[in-house]
Amino acid sequence: MNPYLAGVLLGLTLLASYLILGAGLGASSGIARVGAYFELVLAPARTLESKYFGSWGEQPLQYYLVFMLAGVFFGGLISALLAGRCKFEVERGAKCPPKKRLLFALAGGILAGFASRLANGCTSGQALSGSAVLLTGSLLFLVCVFAGGYSAAWFVRRQWDD
Amino acid sequence: MIDTFFSSGTLDTPAAFFASLLIGIVFGAALEQAGFGSSRRLSGIFYFRDMAVLKVMFTAVVVAMFGITFAKAFGWVTMENVYFMPTLYAAQIVGGLVFGVGFVMSGWCPGTGAVGLASGKIDAMVFLLGAIGGSMLYNEVYPILALITQNDRGVIFAYDSLGISEGSFAFFFTLIAVGGFWGAEYIEKKRHGKGDQWGSLFLKVFSVSLFVGAFGLLAMVGTKAYAPATAAQQEENLLAGLQEGLDHIEPRELADRLLGGDPSIILVDIRTPAEFSKFHIRSAINVQVADLPVALASRKNQGLLILYSNGMTHPAQARDSLFRLGFKNVYLLTDGLEGFIKICLKPVSLRSEPVPPVLVAKINAWRTFFLAPVTSAGETASKAKSSTALNLSSLTLPGLVETDWLITNLYKSGLKVIDLRAQPEYNSGHIPGSLSLNPESLRGLINGVPSSLLPANMLAEHLSMMGIRPDDLVVLVCTDKLQDATLVGMACERLGHSRYAILSGGFPKWQAEKRPLDTILPSVEPSRYPVSNRQETFTVMAKEVLASIGKPGAIILDVRPADYFTGKKRDEARGGHIPGAINRPFSEDVSKTDSYSAFKSLGELAAVYAQIIPAKDTPVIVHCRTGHQASQTYFVLVHLLGYTGVKWYDAGWTEWAARPELPVE
Repeated sequence: MNPYLAGVLLGLTLLASYLILGAGLGASSGIARVGAYFELVLAPARTLESKYFGSWGEQPLQYYLVFMLAGVFFGGLISALLAGRCKFEVERGAKCPPKKRLLFALAGGILAGFASRLANGCTSGQALSGSAVLLTGSLLFLVCVFAGGYSAAWFVRRQWDD
Repeated sequence: MIDTFFSSGTLDTPAAFFASLLIGIVFGAALEQAGFGSSRRLSGIFYFRDMAVLKVMFTAVVVAMFGITFAKAFGWVTMENVYFMPTLYAAQIVGGLVFGVGFVMSGWCPGTGAVGLASGKIDAMVFLLGAIGGSMLYNEVYPILALITQNDRGVIFAYDSLGISEGSFAFFFTLIAVGGFWGAEYIEKKRHGKGDQWGSLFLKVFSVSLFVGAFGLLAMVGTKAYAPATAAQQEENLLAGLQEGLDHIEPRELADRLLGGDPSIILVDIRTPAEFSKFHIRSAINVQVADLPVALASRKNQGLLILYSNGMTHPAQARDSLFRLGFKNVYLLTDGLEGFIKICLKPVSLRSEPVPPVLVAKINAWRTFFLAPVTSAGETASKAKSSTALNLSSLTLPGLVETDWLITNLYKSGLKVIDLRAQPEYNSGHIPGSLSLNPESLRGLINGVPSSLLPANMLAEHLSMMGIRPDDLVVLVCTDKLQDATLVGMACERLGHSRYAILSGGFPKWQAEKRPLDTILPSVEPSRYPVSNRQETFTVMAKEVLASIGKPGAIILDVRPADYFTGKKRDEARGGHIPGAINRPFSEDVSKTDSYSAFKSLGELAAVYAQIIPAKDTPVIVHCRTGHQASQTYFVLVHLLGYTGVKWYDAGWTEWAARPELPVE
């Protein structure tokens, strides 16, 4: 799809989220709550005692952003299936061994997961939703994401070499 | 203002979950349609090879910004029906930088990662597992991040930060976005020889439409013509409501509903506390006019808020001002308290008018109900408890809560307020719904040592009798003896109950701020507080204290007054202190104002203890004579300052002094 039209669709979805839910979009909270759920299954007492996950109680998955994350998955699935873009693969540059690419994906995931908790949101919750309502902190976050991304880009560029 | 799930407090209901799921589906589809099911495409922006991220994101932000700004101008969106995230500079700057590194390394972000997973991308799955791990890691280090995650600046808008109007900010933001689009197209054209949309009719039309939108916004928001219009509209609604007589409730109707136990009624007596304590309609709470908006915030547009006083003037004004704040569920008791007494409670024998037998029976029932001395009824607490769950996300637990927070959340379910003052004081006026507890009742003779905190099973009995459940938030209210609250806090911790908080400034501050009080004893439904089998790890015995004497890096902190530390005064078998112990009297962590005592500022406390304890994980044993005062220092170190190696020698000097084999300095 024309990226601008996809952007308009995304913007309208965000607007609908604000007007219906009274809150913006979010993805990383859902992921963190899945993490809290795993920890609860493994070590319930310890998790409930921990200050961050513990504050979500015994049912961390009973939260609107968890459902939104599930929606994102299904929405992506429907769209990808209709467009014929569903394909099992490790996306990488032709010269990059899959293991290396997956290692980068894992390390990047850890950093992104951690940072989105620290900043209380990710590209969806802060950069997109917070910026749209012109929050100072969210706009700063947006600028910093690009600053961080551009400064590290050179070091991880080889994974895309064809 | 439109009702959102957030403003109606129903974001945790199945309906909201379903709405979120649907919004998520469109969100996911939009991301996928933008091509964001591909990490190569997402990371393209960092190598200037594919600028789709910029185009999609900025378009989305600008479109949503237009919508929100218009909605705000029309009064549909306010600070009350939409959740705006607070700004925390350090957390958001550091978080953004680290997030950016993670983004470019993995080629994914959380939302697009879920779409990538749906598209079959194995790297997306690995990314998501990493993100789950990263979140868990955050949970582990959360206590030590307190410095940057708690410096909450509140909701700040960028236009306020820059000191310009919302309209002009939005206008410039649109300009930058459109400039960005053309720049992105230009980069792609240079890179690939052809621009996707460079100079296309579409991009021209799109850019012009955004400009038109931005001008429209500037015209609307810049003039601020909306404010008087909304106010005028509100006045109109108010007048319409008054004319229809929808804002009154008749005394007989109120009496019947209260007798029937209608849970939707919150009856508010706005007279002075002195008048209130002489007589009030059963189940009423006492709130002063100035406190009404805050005290009733959690019941805004939920159930019926009925105000009364003597006569009519004063509640009508209160009602109007609440209405202007968006309360649409405020009613007045027709003819006030005097009317209620005359119509419902005056004995039949004293009435000059003929009374039909049905009414005689009713009057007698009302008299029995409303004039009976309140013993253990406590309707207020049980009725006033709303079904909205507490939102604990703004709290760090265990920790402190402010009086503002407590009044806003006072009537929510899952909150147990425990008043630790002496019983006569409790009985003569307490925070509505609060339970009375004597902290001494949690201590007894253990292993021959008097005044030791009781074992978990006995503490669980106490909590059960107070109807406390493991997921309740316990708020402890003390006088200026903060150690009473921290001692009860230790009891909570022994049970693994970390959901407790101490009311800042305690009862004296609540009282000084003229917050609502009542004298009704709340009804309690006993619970069965579970005793966990987990061994508690923060209490140490004499032998562990002995082992840490002279151990390099270990600290024994004696929090008794200096004279007892030096041995100048003593009320035990021996005077003095444990060899090598450092003296830091507990009372020095507290500052007093005219009306109440509270912990000193975190900065001040952190600075003092940084001088005494070298690192956050240094092993520290705190003790006093009976464990009472030391519980306060324990709370300060562990819960306010984030020290992790602190243990509590409960038996303290009482035991140490009595055992001649233990060394004394």
